[in-house]
Amino acid sequence: MKESAPRVEMRGIHKVYPDGTVALRGVDLRLEPGEVVGLLGENGAGKTTLMKVLSGLLRPTRGEVYVDGRAVQFRDPKDALRFGIGMVHQVFTLVPPFTALQNVLLGQEEAPPLRPLPEDRAREAVGRLMEQTGLSFPLDAPVESLPVGVQQRVEICKVLYRGTSVLILDEPTSALTPVEVDDLFRFLRGLRSQGRSVVLITHKLREILEVTDRVVVLRRGAVVGERPTAGATAEELAQLMVGQVAVRRAVRTPRAAGAPVLQVRQLRVRDDRGGLAVRDVTFEVREGEILGIAGVEGNGQSELVQALTGLRRPEVGEVLVAGAPAPVLDPLTLYRRGLAHVPEDRARFGLALGFDLVENAILSRQRERAFVGFGGRLRGNVIRRYAEDLVQSFQVVAPSLWTPVRSLSGGNQQRLLLGREIRKTPRLIVAMHPTRGLDVASTAYIRDVLVQMREEGKGVLLVSADLDEVLELSDRIGVMYRGELVAVGPAGRMTREKIGLLMGGVRPEEGA
Amino acid sequence: MRSWLWALVVLAALLAAAPMLDRVGLPPASLLETGLLAMTPLALAAVGECLNEKAGLVNIGLEGIFALSATVGVWFAEAGRSGYVGLAGGAAVGALVGFVLGAVSVYGRADQIIAGMGLNLFSLGFVPFLLISLWAFPGIHVFPNELMVPRLATPLGQVSPVTLAAIVLALLAHWVLHRTVLGFRIRAVGEKPEAVDVAGLRVDRLRLLTATVGGALAGLGGAFLPLGWFGALVKEISAGRGFIALACVVFAGLEPSLALGAALLFGLADGFASAVAVTPGVKERVPFYFVSMIPYVVTLVVVAAVIGRRRFPSTVGRPYARE
Amino acid sequence: MTAVRALRPVGESLATVALGLLAGGLLVWAFGYSPWAAYRALFVGAFGTRSDVLETLAFATPLMLTALTFAVGVRAGLFNIGAEGQMYLGAIGATFVAGMVRLPGGVHLAAATLAGMLAGALWSLVPAVLKVWRGAHEVISTIMCNWIALHLSMYLAVHFLAEPGRAERTVPALPSARYPVLSEESTLTAVLFVAVAFALAVYAYLWGTRAGYELRLVGENPEAARYAGVRPGRVVTLSFVIGGLAAGLAGASQVIGRPPAWSLYATLGNVATLGFDGIGVALVGRNHPVGGILAAILFGALAQGGRLMEYEVGVLSELVRALNGIIVFALAAPGLWNLLRRRVAR
Repeated sequence: MKESAPRVEMRGIHKVYPDGTVALRGVDLRLEPGEVVGLLGENGAGKTTLMKVLSGLLRPTRGEVYVDGRAVQFRDPKDALRFGIGMVHQVFTLVPPFTALQNVLLGQEEAPPLRPLPEDRAREAVGRLMEQTGLSFPLDAPVESLPVGVQQRVEICKVLYRGTSVLILDEPTSALTPVEVDDLFRFLRGLRSQGRSVVLITHKLREILEVTDRVVVLRRGAVVGERPTAGATAEELAQLMVGQVAVRRAVRTPRAAGAPVLQVRQLRVRDDRGGLAVRDVTFEVREGEILGIAGVEGNGQSELVQALTGLRRPEVGEVLVAGAPAPVLDPLTLYRRGLAHVPEDRARFGLALGFDLVENAILSRQRERAFVGFGGRLRGNVIRRYAEDLVQSFQVVAPSLWTPVRSLSGGNQQRLLLGREIRKTPRLIVAMHPTRGLDVASTAYIRDVLVQMREEGKGVLLVSADLDEVLELSDRIGVMYRGELVAVGPAGRMTREKIGLLMGGVRPEEGA
Repeated sequence: MRSWLWALVVLAALLAAAPMLDRVGLPPASLLETGLLAMTPLALAAVGECLNEKAGLVNIGLEGIFALSATVGVWFAEAGRSGYVGLAGGAAVGALVGFVLGAVSVYGRADQIIAGMGLNLFSLGFVPFLLISLWAFPGIHVFPNELMVPRLATPLGQVSPVTLAAIVLALLAHWVLHRTVLGFRIRAVGEKPEAVDVAGLRVDRLRLLTATVGGALAGLGGAFLPLGWFGALVKEISAGRGFIALACVVFAGLEPSLALGAALLFGLADGFASAVAVTPGVKERVPFYFVSMIPYVVTLVVVAAVIGRRRFPSTVGRPYARE
Repeated sequence: MTAVRALRPVGESLATVALGLLAGGLLVWAFGYSPWAAYRALFVGAFGTRSDVLETLAFATPLMLTALTFAVGVRAGLFNIGAEGQMYLGAIGATFVAGMVRLPGGVHLAAATLAGMLAGALWSLVPAVLKVWRGAHEVISTIMCNWIALHLSMYLAVHFLAEPGRAERTVPALPSARYPVLSEESTLTAVLFVAVAFALAVYAYLWGTRAGYELRLVGENPEAARYAGVRPGRVVTLSFVIGGLAAGLAGASQVIGRPPAWSLYATLGNVATLGFDGIGVALVGRNHPVGGILAAILFGALAQGGRLMEYEVGVLSELVRALNGIIVFALAAPGLWNLLRRRVAR
């Protein structure tokens, strides 16, 4: 023990969820005033759970939390806030139609329930806070109309407004442009110099090395390493984070791309609220190449992919699949033309979680001759054999064919889905965030399969917010920003730095 | 607002039709009188349900609450020898039922549509059971006339004080929802319960509050049916009104003040049907059965014609749980 | 292993029914009766003799059909509570053909049955079209349709189908349009087999055909259905129509398949609430056609046993319907079960 008690100390934290999942197995964590601690780990390592315990959102199954040397028990976030601990969640907890000011004010109204909302009083206080911290955002716009980066500032301000001296940030950079990330880190250093503590949850090594003072690595609910950032190297941290799995790169043979399998001309698509999401985008994907589209999420990628795969009607523009125009862009017509689609959210579009593996194996193939017999009857035996084959060929681990896919891990769900799409023998595969939320092994497997498709001469359109994924897999890379495809070029000429600037709306030749 | 426009159009049409109605023997004044009576339970239940849905809950058991609190309300009125005691009893039963439904939704994470339907089915059996158990009459119970809540003479005709209360409550609900801290929190909890939770406010308590208040208002409306309007208790006393109240809520886009207008619209249709059914010279010519359909047909048409896809709080009907 | 997993929902359903009976027992006790005596009478009344068992099946017949209406709705993602009204019109359609039209035997029975089913299906098109065309929510529209159907059916029963000289009911079905009574000791007729066959056919359709697969896909995940190229409008209509056919058959079964009346009461008293009862049956049967058959027998037993309970113990049979509501209420909350289990585990 040191002479003075740390700002926060967590000892032997265990967390078992009601469904029996063990998320944390005896984690210790210390926080000193005026330091930025990085909490590093893969998806599912328990980082978020640990911080939800610290911020009072979850109660630990076992273990103690001390604040300034005193044992505390938080029943809800309000308790934690009382001790100056506040968390900014990965999925924002803003009320979309409320203004930024109202969002900051929620729960801090300091007025009896049946009195008017003291907005004017709060306006001054928030204004002062904005000056102090350098956060700025429009107070009176509904937050749903603000860009994600600005929403995050509102979210941070909301937490600081409650007098927080320990700020927890959960994957704060995942939706930010590189420029916004720089702003955020500058702001965090400012907090540190004011003597506050920051916990940064992330799985990105660069961020750890750039902004933290100390790094704690979690794997499978336990601390596997802790050291000052100053002496740590990226390789060492990566090794700690993933365990024994070797970092790998896709192998590919250089080859000339063939005929175009997807041609998009002047495509314009609107989003659900009627705003222009895709602005006159033109590009093509050729046989035997992977075109990677990078970009911060929410810049029109979802709408673009939905329009290409028949899930959203484009306003104007031309789409040619395999050289022929697709007059009616509906999913089944496109499929018959040779399109396979790995959708961005497998639980939402690509699978029916309550259906078993067999039923999911024919999802979107349910009208195929091979599977449908006389009078529209499904040919049970044929379908079962096909599903068995899928499960084997794509290494899907499942208790049985008759298990609802809900109970499979994300990796196994995605293998099943990808397998199904590839068995359509497509000429073009459109895949969006194909490895999001997956474990290392499944991620590697799925990337391999995509590269293999390229080797077999199929065209692949890869849309991903994971810059590393795009860089690893693509032959050509494009960047989407505010609905426009701002640049497309061979992978060799698109460096990480250049893409980063483009993602933030800066064209290198003009800006940097 | 489109719904307001529609309401205005319909009201204008009704006003234009007034002289015609007068000629066939349906005085507009008595139509309005009945319309206001019919509006009252709809408005009360709809206003309460607006608050409830703003907070992210949905109660399709209003129909059941109407029937239960009508029955229990009459029992209270007889026990307390006063219609007002009956109204209070009805409101209390409604509050209790609303609270239970809210608790099952909030803590039991129930499918609220099924739970509400369970409540309706329960009252479908329990109300006739009560009628026979309490008064040994199957189907209908006529209570002494002095238990009726007396109506007030106003320029608009005989108006029940409960009607005035319903109007005041609708405006009050509007004020609470849009002008107070409590309403601010209620709107927040319906749109984003996570935000309310991390702000250190209690999602469960806010939702229980609206469920209970909503139940109480529906209960008041239910007790009003026999004690303020019909003067008797029948087992099918709610007759779909709980669902018409739900239509008001949807029509009004969850705004209590608009729900009041919607209730008046449906109330006038209901009142029109009642008036036609008793007016000499008219009732002989139109089969009673078709007259009885009017409120339902109007509701069906309105639901189909006006209600497109409205923006509802994103969490209506979904239980909230921290992961 | 698979068998165990299949048994879990059955266990949960039975536990919920037990919970409902327990709550009902408390209610019986609160009103001053002996719950023990009431439930003994209920059981004996339902299963005591061969004729009781047959009568239980007679009560179960319409319930398995109206349960199907609700279940097929849920499978397509709809909350279709319009069985009640569709059933009224089914009864009207069957009464018309069975009582007013003369046809040769055999053909007549089939025609009356079909007329009932078609009438139910036609009425189900109203909420279906409003849903597909205008986005009108089916909870409100089906209830409104139920009430309109109630008044329409009473009007038709009184003005067009009334038996001369007897205001309280419609013309009885002609003998050529009656389902044969299976045994003199009960009112059970061969319409039971038609009902079971229909339920099994729907099961085969939903789980064995492309169209059934697509219907269930829309209910399970509408977005995935869009991804799979399924048009939701068609599925909604199909689900309503299958439900309408089932409800119409339920209504017909009470006219041409249930002695002694062989007709529809002008108050619709011999069909009223059977449509709503089907909701509870469907939920206990886990929205599965076969589960619905089993659950219908359970609820049929409650209805049949309720008569003896009323006669012997004095507990009104209306209470059985209240029980139905309590059971549905309890089924709504899966969280309740988890809560209970955790309490027990501690």
